[in-house]
Amino acid sequence: MNRREFLKQGAALGGAAALGAIGAPRQVRAQRKTGTVRVWGEPGPYAGVAVEGMNEWAKANAPGLTFTVETLSWTDVYPKLMTDLAAGRPASCISVESPIAFQLMAEGLLEPVDDVIARVGRGRLIPGAKWEYWGAWKGRQYVVPAHHQSHLLVVRTDVLKEAGITTSPETWNWNDLLNAARTIKEKTKAFGICFALGRTIATDYYLSGLLHSAGSRMFDVRNNFQVAFDSPASIETFDFVSELYPSMPPGALGYTFLDVVDSMATGQSGMVFYWGRVFGRAAEVNPKVFETMEAYQHAAHPKTGKRLNWNDFQGWLIPKANNPYIAEVKEALAYYLTHKDWPLRYVHSLVPNVSPVFQDVAQDPRLTTHPFFQTKRRTIFEYYVEALKNASNSGNELLEGINPLAGIVHGRGILAQGIQKVLIDKWSAKNAVKWVAGELEQVRREHIRLLI
Amino acid sequence: MGLPAVPAPRRGFRLSDRQVGILFMLPFAAVAAAFIVWPVAEAVRLAFHTKSPFSPALTFVGLDNFRYVLGDPTFWAALRQAVIWTVSSTLLQSVIGVGLALLLHQAVRGINVFRGLLLFPYMVPTVVIALVWRWMFNPEFGIVNASLHRLGLIRENIYWFSDPQWAMASVILLNVWKFTPFVVICVLARLQTIQVDLYDAARVDGASAWQRFRDITLPQLKTVLSVVVVFRTIWTFNKFEEIYLLTRGGPGTSTFNLAVYAFEQATANLKLGAAAATGVIMLALLFGGSALYLRLIGRQEE
Repeated sequence: MNRREFLKQGAALGGAAALGAIGAPRQVRAQRKTGTVRVWGEPGPYAGVAVEGMNEWAKANAPGLTFTVETLSWTDVYPKLMTDLAAGRPASCISVESPIAFQLMAEGLLEPVDDVIARVGRGRLIPGAKWEYWGAWKGRQYVVPAHHQSHLLVVRTDVLKEAGITTSPETWNWNDLLNAARTIKEKTKAFGICFALGRTIATDYYLSGLLHSAGSRMFDVRNNFQVAFDSPASIETFDFVSELYPSMPPGALGYTFLDVVDSMATGQSGMVFYWGRVFGRAAEVNPKVFETMEAYQHAAHPKTGKRLNWNDFQGWLIPKANNPYIAEVKEALAYYLTHKDWPLRYVHSLVPNVSPVFQDVAQDPRLTTHPFFQTKRRTIFEYYVEALKNASNSGNELLEGINPLAGIVHGRGILAQGIQKVLIDKWSAKNAVKWVAGELEQVRREHIRLLI
Repeated sequence: MGLPAVPAPRRGFRLSDRQVGILFMLPFAAVAAAFIVWPVAEAVRLAFHTKSPFSPALTFVGLDNFRYVLGDPTFWAALRQAVIWTVSSTLLQSVIGVGLALLLHQAVRGINVFRGLLLFPYMVPTVVIALVWRWMFNPEFGIVNASLHRLGLIRENIYWFSDPQWAMASVILLNVWKFTPFVVICVLARLQTIQVDLYDAARVDGASAWQRFRDITLPQLKTVLSVVVVFRTIWTFNKFEEIYLLTRGGPGTSTFNLAVYAFEQATANLKLGAAAATGVIMLALLFGGSALYLRLIGRQEE
């Protein structure tokens, strides 16, 4: 689908769905509960905007309640979630990366949200997206969509020019990307490329995109979730990363998300793999770098031709146990997702990181009033629309089906540990892949109950 | 006429000294039982069970958790690194601490200001220190690399937290910087109680400064140093936050110690039983090590 079709289809479907959802407001009874409703969100302004919307609902319907946002840093998200859920003091509403949401969903820790989805409008999703991408398990929906966000190839056009690279990244395959990274390192002061290689979930997410493009996957959901990682495609991917590594900042071995953002925003690297957030950061701290930045779909794998990213279909989930505000959170979520400009303000809060998921928002003429649309229109389109065509996710590999084991894999940083064995401990890619496959098998064996 | 009758003393409720002592100890005993004994007992119990953080179910598995932990190569790597981390940190803290204490023992004007300043690292919360150190040791714009460049000591940036050797050196350095003041305080307090007569007599006998240090100061410090070394060894071996905040155990697992390993087992692997088993092994190692060390010191004194 091209952009024109996307707009056309969206306008029709989205308008109708949104009118349906907004035009028939549900009668909300005044709530008597009082207290603070804790909402967990990832770093960034968007969760705060959503909470503002929720508070607007509370003001009118539950004056004794106040929604407050607590930010969970990405690196700590897994231990924080696990310890707080185990201790029986989770936030009442959580926005968290999709593989972790899938794990919690399969553990039976979440409240189904089909009733919220019905009110939000089942026909509102943008073309190419399915509700299950955000989190459905055994026929029930457990996650309310908030946005989708993909990492893409972000380049500094001035650095490419300085290095004498004239081909467009649109046409690149892995070999071109490798050559570009080496050339930048040789001919300019910048590092060729940067992405996280620390023992963090960030590294897992970067590797997933590359692995999936090469035709590898961790588990085969269509074959009883058998481990499928020990493959030539996985070995090829690990070898490719170790070939890219000399063009990266040596510190990348300890990097997590924000180190990569800084690497681009401070002008350290000529290319990075990153989500749209890096544009906002660069605009803030280094406008000159921002001016030259553009995002492209990832370089294609030479054999498969795939340019897959790791798309986080991120949404809102509601812990079932020890949560006194389930009904109120549902009301507040339905309100902010269907009232006034909240969904639009949510998307506007971090362009182009937070891609719209509802057609009426994607089609709203006011969407393009954000200043980034003046200079980064093409890049925004890459994140909002094109990225969805190349979407994959470790919890929904190749979009073939939800796999709750991925959350556990990322909690342990298994993929990251695998590549670190190659880069730090100098293992062969083949042995590192075997090690990862063994760890995945152990995860599967230990958590088989989630799959039954 | 007889003497007026003296009223017999009233036989009231009276506690013996021993009972009063016990009474005074009760609040501490209650707190210790609630916050030390019970958690330790629970951890030991948990070490023989499997437990998911999400479920109340507790399944007895005997020694399986210990088998799992002892069969995990990362556990042995973490143990090896824990020994390097503990021995290096404690040794450096002791040597530097004694040196600084000797300097601060001088009768110099304004010495109290320096003594006060020395406590600074000990007082600052570890989280703050770790964040500041992450900035200072940032390979691209940190003050440490910039200073080393300026002094001409390095040509290429050192990637402190990305190279396994440098990462271990960084966390040891942080631990030494933060906890050396503890050694200084203990040693300084002992230095101030050594009789000056001993030094005067040694001077009269013609003993050099080194001989006075070796034959008077060091033997006098022996008791306090043995206690300090035991404390610092136990605390350092158990330390979690400095390593976790600075390197998170990385790169790879190169700065894992057993505390970080146990944390990973609990929060990443969701194996509370294995984490508890690691804790029990740490307890046994520290108990055995400390007993052996104190026994050796005691034997030397005899």
